[in-house]
Amino acid sequence: MTIFSLYVYDRHCACVYYQDWHRTKRPKPAVEGGILNAVSSAVSPQVVVDTNTANSSAFSSPRNTLTSSTGVVVAVGEDSSTPAMQQTPSEGSRSNTLPFDEEAKLVYGVILSLRNMIKKLSGRDEQFVSYRTSAYKLHLYETISGYKFVMLSDPATDGLRFVLRQIYNGPFLEYVVRNPLVSMDSREQGIDNDYFRASVDRLVRGLSVFT
Amino acid sequence: MAIFGLWVINKAGGLVYQRNFADGLAQLTSNEYLVMAGTLHGIHAITSRLSPTGSSSGAQVIEGESFKMTILLTATGTKFVLLTSLAETVAEPVLQKVYEAYADAVMKNPFHTPEMPIRSEGFDTRITALVGSGQP
Repeated sequence: MTIFSLYVYDRHCACVYYQDWHRTKRPKPAVEGGILNAVSSAVSPQVVVDTNTANSSAFSSPRNTLTSSTGVVVAVGEDSSTPAMQQTPSEGSRSNTLPFDEEAKLVYGVILSLRNMIKKLSGRDEQFVSYRTSAYKLHLYETISGYKFVMLSDPATDGLRFVLRQIYNGPFLEYVVRNPLVSMDSREQGIDNDYFRASVDRLVRGLSVFT
Repeated sequence: MAIFGLWVINKAGGLVYQRNFADGLAQLTSNEYLVMAGTLHGIHAITSRLSPTGSSSGAQVIEGESFKMTILLTATGTKFVLLTSLAETVAEPVLQKVYEAYADAVMKNPFHTPEMPIRSEGFDTRITALVGSGQP
């Protein structure tokens, strides 16, 4: 059992945060303008910049689990912005991998359609909880303020809504909502910051389903 | 424990059979069911592309807070969807039986046009015998 990835969407349908763990099939980086800034440095459009300038950005996290070419998750604090790890040709040529921005839109489209379908079928204000395929299970938790927390896990896991709720109650409120430097609802800025990322990482890695 | 309804969706996403058994879900018009089947068909295709690891099938079970939809995709692209309560454990075996009944009573029927709505009394009877009124 394992956890693959976490997406957070705001109420304007935009993906504001992304993190992944045991993902074997990674998305390609998003195209320029496809996603907001500060969603995840791992999938942001790759701009040719001096590594020093890239590291000095307040929002760029030094943790970049996606650029490890071995599939082994890079440890916290490890410098991962070496140019050698930029998208290898083999990764780029895999035609069935989507760029991150398209993937994020597809995930949002699916949860929105399923949410509407469940509401309509039940005839009351019932929430869509999860769906399962042969390879993964997707869980959704929606807050009153319209933030949607989406987690992809192993198909054998039970409901993970409580985890998404914990992420909202703990790290999200503490490091995003109460953080004056994070402009929520801005439509141009994601919510990524080091404390939030590290805190979510710690929470997810501490789960019994995370192996 | 209840079975709320059964849908059969053809390979193009059209709803060819829809039947309600137990109450508990909203009563919708046939047009709304048609739209819903088309949506499900699309979602099913997208979910198989979103796999974070290896290749994946489409959605097999979709859960709400009080009910779930179990989807059986056959090799020919026909989808059987069973709407049940969350605690229902027999959804998959029931769908297999429904597939059998479909093969026997619909596909072997010389008067049935493939991909068209199912109007077969034999199939109706088999389904009634299988699911009953929805309360086992």
